[in-house]
Amino acid sequence: MGRKALAIAMATVLCVAGLTLGGCSDESGSDSSGLEPYKIGVVVSLTGSYSGLGVPEKRAIELEAEMLNEAGGINGRMVELFFEDDATDAAKAAAAATSLIEREDVIAIIGATGTGQTMAMRTDIDRAAVPQVSMAGGSVVTADFDELVFQTPWPNRVVVPFTLKALAAKGITRIALISDSGGYGADGHDVVLASAAAAGVEIVADETFNLGDTDMTAQLTKMRSQSPDAVLMWTAGSEAAIVAKNMQQLGLDVPLVGSPGNGRVEFLDGAGSAADGFSFAAGKILLPEAYGEGSEAFTVATEFIDRYTERYGTAPDIFAGHAYDAFLIIADALGRVDGDVTPAALRDAIEATDGLIGVGGTFSYSADDHNGLSETDLVMYRVDGGQWVLDE
Amino acid sequence: MGTVAPRIRVVLLAAASLVIASVPFLTDDRYLLKILTFVGLNAIVVAGLALLLGFAGQISMGHAAFFGLGAYTSAYLTTAHEVPWLLAVAAGTLLAATGGLLLALPSLRLKGHYLAMATLGFNEIMSVLFVEMRGITGGNDGLSGIPFPSIGSLVIDSPAAIYILVWAVAALAFVGAANLVRTRPGRAMRALHGSELGALASGVNTVGLKVQVFAVSAALAGLAGALYAHSVGFISPSQFSLEFSILLVAMVVVGGTGSLTGPFIAAVALTLLQYVHALIPGLSKDAAALIQDWEVDISGLVMILTVIFVPGGLAAFLKRRRSGAGVEGEIA
Amino acid sequence: MGSAELLQFAVAGLKNGSIYALVALGFTLVFGSTGIINFAQGEFFMLGGMLAVFFVKLGLPLPLAVVAGVLATAVVGLAFERVALRPRRDSGPLALIIITIGGSMVLRSLSRHAFGGNELSLPAFTEGPSIVVAGAAIERQALWVWGLTIVAVAGLSWLYSKTKFGRSMRACSLSHEASRLMGIDTARIVMVSFGLAAVLGALAGVVVAPLTQTSFNVGARIGLKGFAAAILGGLGNPIAAVVGGLALGLVESMSIAFISSTYKDVIALVLLLVVLFVRPEGILGRATREKV
Repeated sequence: MGRKALAIAMATVLCVAGLTLGGCSDESGSDSSGLEPYKIGVVVSLTGSYSGLGVPEKRAIELEAEMLNEAGGINGRMVELFFEDDATDAAKAAAAATSLIEREDVIAIIGATGTGQTMAMRTDIDRAAVPQVSMAGGSVVTADFDELVFQTPWPNRVVVPFTLKALAAKGITRIALISDSGGYGADGHDVVLASAAAAGVEIVADETFNLGDTDMTAQLTKMRSQSPDAVLMWTAGSEAAIVAKNMQQLGLDVPLVGSPGNGRVEFLDGAGSAADGFSFAAGKILLPEAYGEGSEAFTVATEFIDRYTERYGTAPDIFAGHAYDAFLIIADALGRVDGDVTPAALRDAIEATDGLIGVGGTFSYSADDHNGLSETDLVMYRVDGGQWVLDE
Repeated sequence: MGTVAPRIRVVLLAAASLVIASVPFLTDDRYLLKILTFVGLNAIVVAGLALLLGFAGQISMGHAAFFGLGAYTSAYLTTAHEVPWLLAVAAGTLLAATGGLLLALPSLRLKGHYLAMATLGFNEIMSVLFVEMRGITGGNDGLSGIPFPSIGSLVIDSPAAIYILVWAVAALAFVGAANLVRTRPGRAMRALHGSELGALASGVNTVGLKVQVFAVSAALAGLAGALYAHSVGFISPSQFSLEFSILLVAMVVVGGTGSLTGPFIAAVALTLLQYVHALIPGLSKDAAALIQDWEVDISGLVMILTVIFVPGGLAAFLKRRRSGAGVEGEIA
Repeated sequence: MGSAELLQFAVAGLKNGSIYALVALGFTLVFGSTGIINFAQGEFFMLGGMLAVFFVKLGLPLPLAVVAGVLATAVVGLAFERVALRPRRDSGPLALIIITIGGSMVLRSLSRHAFGGNELSLPAFTEGPSIVVAGAAIERQALWVWGLTIVAVAGLSWLYSKTKFGRSMRACSLSHEASRLMGIDTARIVMVSFGLAAVLGALAGVVVAPLTQTSFNVGARIGLKGFAAAILGGLGNPIAAVVGGLALGLVESMSIAFISSTYKDVIALVLLLVVLFVRPEGILGRATREKV
């Protein structure tokens, strides 16, 4: 009776799963010195819709931890990583945080990839008082302030005013805004509306689209009737390339300006010739020479880029950069802790981060700034012949 | 109900209850308790959906939206207006029930796939509203800092206590559903499932009954959603998507329509499968990561294989097929 | 608002609408022979695009890669029917629908395992600037979308009304048992209809990929739009699927033009619900009487 066997097998699996009481008793900590390794949890989206972001993040952290351990670790202790996939699902991110804190007893958590997933972990982070360094860019991550939570990407509240001022400096003041209705787009949208006046620009059209939409000519046609000086687009996914191509199709011949989320080769591939002239603000990781060749920041960035490219065969994208920075911040803080390394001591050390040179910029945290980046970490890029070049 | 010796049923039921009730005394693993709380929450929704789909023969692909309606209502009332927890949960449940009623009234003249589309459309509409009604829902950023359940000065904040709360509600939901099925409205429901014209001919108020079952089922989803919000402390729109609605329907069908036990087991199994990498003891980190990478495939395959090899759903293993009435749901 | 603008909105709506229509045709085809909704239809759309990109990367010229992508998807569709659906083909529709849901999860996830999580690009079929008609600009690839839609709907209508095979399919949709008694090989009909649905879905995916790029998770959303289009028009009839698709596309673009881009999907869905409440079998659907 094949069916019966199947049922019995399924029931067994269920029982085993249901009655599992202990955790995964995994003893793979690579401690040569006999000292306990520092346990760091990492929550990333390896499956689900953010998997394109989460995979490079995991790679960067794995690579850096490996290198750190080979060089002898921190204070003579190794770093042991525990990865959890949140499947781009907030409930799973919350469960992952519980697992890392309770079962693995981690002293810090890096993650998550997305803003919603980052926020979902907060209940556990607060209860266990474990510091969290998020790679998600949503303003809410640090605007809804929590003394345990830090973030590495350039936040919209820094990038948007920088971008708008750069436009105003070029005499571009009538701006048509198009953004996605998802987390990244909606966040950027709100910051644009809030900071337009201060930057001296006027938002003459305000349109949105949904992630997964296949055509934005209707929105762009509507914008065209307002004869804007430029179209400002706030979105990070494949829809950005559609907007660029639709503008080309319509012959809407004004500059298209984007966000750091467009610093991806997938955008260049997708938009093709429509990307020419496209400009956006981002950190200097895309072109480290922006730091000035020979500077320390230049060396840090190029070494990471070379290392990553050699290992994985592709250059790191900005998400890999955010992950690099998150790991660097924790590793740096671990090295500065005096005495016992507890989550609380580590948190204090992270908050004391000052002038730490990462690939996304120079991080200086303080008691009321847990993002740590400023406009000086940004530059404007322009796409020329299918490649990023520095604007100006 | 059914032809299985009642004694075996009672023994099985008692054994299952004992296992479920003893969990918080056997472990203090917060992770396990959290996952098992998720299981209990899904079971509550499935109890209602099994009534609707399995006994009244009406499909809903919008139950994630009712779940979300309950979650947002209760979360908003407790965070923004400091409404007492019990009242807020009651409000969430009631609003979900009202939503169910309002959707059911026009929708239930639709049949099969057209009803599926209407409920699915409702889910999509609610998804947009959860994002756009930012003043209440917090938009994409979600609502955080949702307080733990509390009654008076008693705060239910330990994972074990939340587990017990959720499973007590789940037990009540199933006992209630089982009683409903056995009573006169239950028999009328089954008549409805068999043939609507037949039921109509035997004097059953089909429309009224369908609407009532739909509202009850939406209320249970809303109740589960409210409990969910207070047990995890954070909610955001993507948690109440169509994907979740579809998974819930799959739980009922894999479990076996026309049964409550089968869908219950399927809810347990399909929820745990999403966390299976962390529930098998002694796995190496690499093996756990590999399994985690393939969890969606595993869930999909289990759904397919169960439906292929276990006709009538898991329920068919626990009891002989009811004579006469088909176990299989006919929605077309 | 000028007439050129109005025309441009219509072009946008008709382009999206044709995409929805192509996916809706796949739904209608499978519904026509099995009475079920194939929740994996969107994944055929995804696979077509992803596999075509894969074959381009292997070095095949674009036309060959497109054909190879579509054929490979057809094989997947046939295999899915044969392995997963046929063993339970006499079950009620709910069981079969759950199998297609499970199938869509597996196909989507396998695609991510194979091709990664990022979006991939496919070159346009014919390069060149857009064509301007009466002030409205039309991308060249949109012409391919429309051409394919016309060919697909004409072909299916012909198949349904003029061929023995098509008549057998329609008989199948009414009753498998009666069809079998009449000597129709229902198993073959169902399998072929799945193969055809996979071809249609893949063609749609391939022709859309140059416009939008593609990735492992594009199937669910386009599947939903296609399903909505099929229901709006009325299940089981190719013309209705196209009417439903175009109507949906136009409602969306006109919502953007005159009401709100944020609420365009809500507006379209509310209209869909209203249509269903007034005409429970869709715009062109025929009422079926329940058998006692």
